[in-house]
Amino acid sequence: MSEALLNVSHVVKRYGDHAAVNDISFTVAPGEFFTLLGPSGCGKTTTLRLLAGLETPDAGEIALAGRCLAAPSRGVLVPIDKRGMGMVFQSYAIWPHLTVFENVAFPLRVRRAPKAMIEKSVREALELVGLAGLEQRGATELSGGQQQRVALARAIVYTPALLLLDEPLSNLDVKLREQMRAELHALHRRLNLAVVYVTHDQSEALALSDRIAVVNQGRLEQVGTPVDVYERPSTRFVGDFLGRTVILNGTLQNEAGESFLDVEGQGRVLAPSDARFSSGERLRLLSRPEDVTLLPMGEVGRNQVVGRIEQVAYMGDHLEYTIAAAGRTVVLPAAKKEQHAIGAGVRLGFDPARITILPR
Amino acid sequence: MTQVAALARSPNRTAIRAVEAVTLLFFGAVMALPIIFLLVGSFNTAPPGAAASYGLENWTRAFLDSQTLSALWMSFLFSVVRLVPSLILASTAAWLIARTDMPGGDTVEFLCWLAFFVPDFPLTLAWTLLLDPNFGFLNSLAGVLPFVDGPLFNPYSFWGIVWVHLGTGGIWLNVMLLTPIFRRLGATLEEAARVAGANTFTALLRITFPVLSPMIIAIAVMSFIRGLESFNVELLLGVPAGIYVYGTRIYDYIRQEPPAYGEATALGSVFLLVLAVLAVLYRRYFQGNRKFTVVTGQGYSTLRIKLGKWRYVALGGFILWYTIVMILPLSFLVIGSFMRRYGFFGINSPFTWAHWQDLFGDPLFVSSLRNSLVIATITAVLGVLLYSIVGYLLACRRLVAPALLEFFCWLPWVIPGILMSLGLLWVFLATPLRGILYGTVWGIALALTIHHSPVSSQAFKSAFLQLGGDLEEAARVAGGSWWYTYLRILLPLVAPMAATVAMLNFGTALTSISTPVLLYSADSRPLSILLLEYSFTGEIERAAALGLLITAIICAMMLIGRRLGLRMTSPSRQEARPTM
Repeated sequence: MSEALLNVSHVVKRYGDHAAVNDISFTVAPGEFFTLLGPSGCGKTTTLRLLAGLETPDAGEIALAGRCLAAPSRGVLVPIDKRGMGMVFQSYAIWPHLTVFENVAFPLRVRRAPKAMIEKSVREALELVGLAGLEQRGATELSGGQQQRVALARAIVYTPALLLLDEPLSNLDVKLREQMRAELHALHRRLNLAVVYVTHDQSEALALSDRIAVVNQGRLEQVGTPVDVYERPSTRFVGDFLGRTVILNGTLQNEAGESFLDVEGQGRVLAPSDARFSSGERLRLLSRPEDVTLLPMGEVGRNQVVGRIEQVAYMGDHLEYTIAAAGRTVVLPAAKKEQHAIGAGVRLGFDPARITILPR
Repeated sequence: MTQVAALARSPNRTAIRAVEAVTLLFFGAVMALPIIFLLVGSFNTAPPGAAASYGLENWTRAFLDSQTLSALWMSFLFSVVRLVPSLILASTAAWLIARTDMPGGDTVEFLCWLAFFVPDFPLTLAWTLLLDPNFGFLNSLAGVLPFVDGPLFNPYSFWGIVWVHLGTGGIWLNVMLLTPIFRRLGATLEEAARVAGANTFTALLRITFPVLSPMIIAIAVMSFIRGLESFNVELLLGVPAGIYVYGTRIYDYIRQEPPAYGEATALGSVFLLVLAVLAVLYRRYFQGNRKFTVVTGQGYSTLRIKLGKWRYVALGGFILWYTIVMILPLSFLVIGSFMRRYGFFGINSPFTWAHWQDLFGDPLFVSSLRNSLVIATITAVLGVLLYSIVGYLLACRRLVAPALLEFFCWLPWVIPGILMSLGLLWVFLATPLRGILYGTVWGIALALTIHHSPVSSQAFKSAFLQLGGDLEEAARVAGGSWWYTYLRILLPLVAPMAATVAMLNFGTALTSISTPVLLYSADSRPLSILLLEYSFTGEIERAAALGLLITAIICAMMLIGRRLGLRMTSPSRQEARPTM
């Protein structure tokens, strides 16, 4: 990773006894799209507000491009308006008494930019978000999607050091959301701005981000690329939050230099080597349903576990089998041509490269 | 994260705290100080200006004086007796407007809204034109009947005062407060009761009113407290008959020669205690029932109850009531202002422009009009400047002592204008600012501004709360300093509310009697006081003209404001009317 643009270290924010942000540290590289992903109330929005200066941290340090923005221990606190950030609010916060042009021009006006430059920059920003020609519209005459674009134009019009996006797509309907997601992606590539993005939507996070930080109860559970956090979740929470999981219990066994997970005597799966765990330890195997193959009963080979079909649900474009395996229940999708009778024995085939071993 | 909470946390603490401290100091000086002066002054047995000597004489005299006690008792009695018909009429009207298919419901609501702004002093004057035992039109009319001997009606009586209050602002205020409550309740709860087997009337009695009872009780308590401080009607109708309420008694103590400041302050202090207890009970009750009232926000449905033939009866009833308490007296105010000698229809050319010409030709009128406009303008401007800041402070929830600021804002709501003026009079006399404030338009404007604090501060507070924190925060993140943000973003956004507050304060300042009555001097006499003087000196025709003029100005202002779309949210409605 190149040298960090944003450096957040050991930041804490308390409300009374409750730590909304509990010792969070991460860095964002120049041009990186960094996402804070987590359920509502996990502290991700608070983290974003700490970056913007809308909240003051109780401990820790925030630095942007080598300049310290907040460090309570040293009494440093740069005011909100002196941080040079751009931010898109969840509600867009379009000022209803100003036109589209004036909304977007605001950051330049407060910076006393020359008139000609304001005209030029606003036009460019509006073109960039696809709102050219709407300059003189009243802000309240816009649709939700258009307001969102105005908010975005306003945030990028003066090329901020860091762009903060607080669930910008959550108030849009599904179709528009997908479209805006694609546009946001293209815009980020084009501007090459560092972005901190807050969302509770895992597919948004996976599609847009260079790196994702999964936040839970004020802490970062895992930071990594979308592939990392999706395919190799480091905790059960991360696994569950980022989609459906298949989880089986097993015991670690070492044999001829290889580690296996013995799944309650129902099969053995090759385990990625992990120094944290020792032989005989009771562990948990985690995989994504789409990475598990469903096979009819036969000879149980390597990386296969025996199960029994309990239920089948017709989902239209595919089937969904509920399977009892090694004392647990797993749900697997299957193509419609793969027919298994209820009560029939099946084999679950795992891909050792796409499983994660977690402590119980 | 709620927007309210968000607004709370953008850091600018030192500035906010400094503004808060200044505001609290100001309120302390103009609100707490008068009350302290009042309490201390009630123990001061020396006349103002003389060296103070303290003792209990004022209190013992006040309590031994049967007049004092009877004044308190009358205030209480009036307020209680008025309460029941006022609530029944107001909730019936509100229910008909909001929940039934009575024809012309919107017009009816508009008429109630307009009636709310009709100042009560001219209205009372109009009733004397109708009911006066000597020249009252209805009495002359009744005198024609064979079995009527002597005047049938007498407005200068207990029941006369109660009657006049059936058409004054308080009752219309209740309609305006209750209508949105009935409307918000929606139909679902009633429909559920109907489905369960109740008829319309049972549903109303068993479901609608019980669900709304906390709100209705809250409004009743508010009406009661505000009834206690009623002054104008009692002054015009009660004093000639020797019926004193505490407000008119205080007025009497101060206006007599030599002024009995001691007794007045002692009486005021007693009343202060009564009001304080009531206010505490009311606030506690209101807060305890918040949850109950929130429930009613759900399940909005606009289905109205079908009254069938009865809907015309309902409308007819309303028209009758409105005609009797509003249109009839106001018409006679018009007639009175054009009659050479009021009540004498039989003389040659009974109608004349003379009173209007006299009025406009009176140098006192010209100077009073100027004073009134100056006072009202200062009050409006000062109110907007002061309460927009107070409203922001209350909404931002970053204060050291938010409860104290709220307390100050609500204080004038329970302290009647005349009592506040009495306290301010002491303060004005005792401070170095005496020259600027005592007997001047500035002093009156200051007193009026303070008196408006509950409505004005709550109006701005709700406006700022509605804005939410995002709009402010977005401007701050975009690089605007706090002041720049305040001027460019916040103030323009609350401009409609500011205009509404300015207009209401202007109108109230124009019509208030009880606040300036102790503070004016010959150089600062406002129109409302001139009206009072005209009616006391028996120039009733000219008084009718002036009363009509004031009424017309106020109503025109409110109609223009309504046309301009100035909004009035429910909190601002609580006291949003001329107190005249």
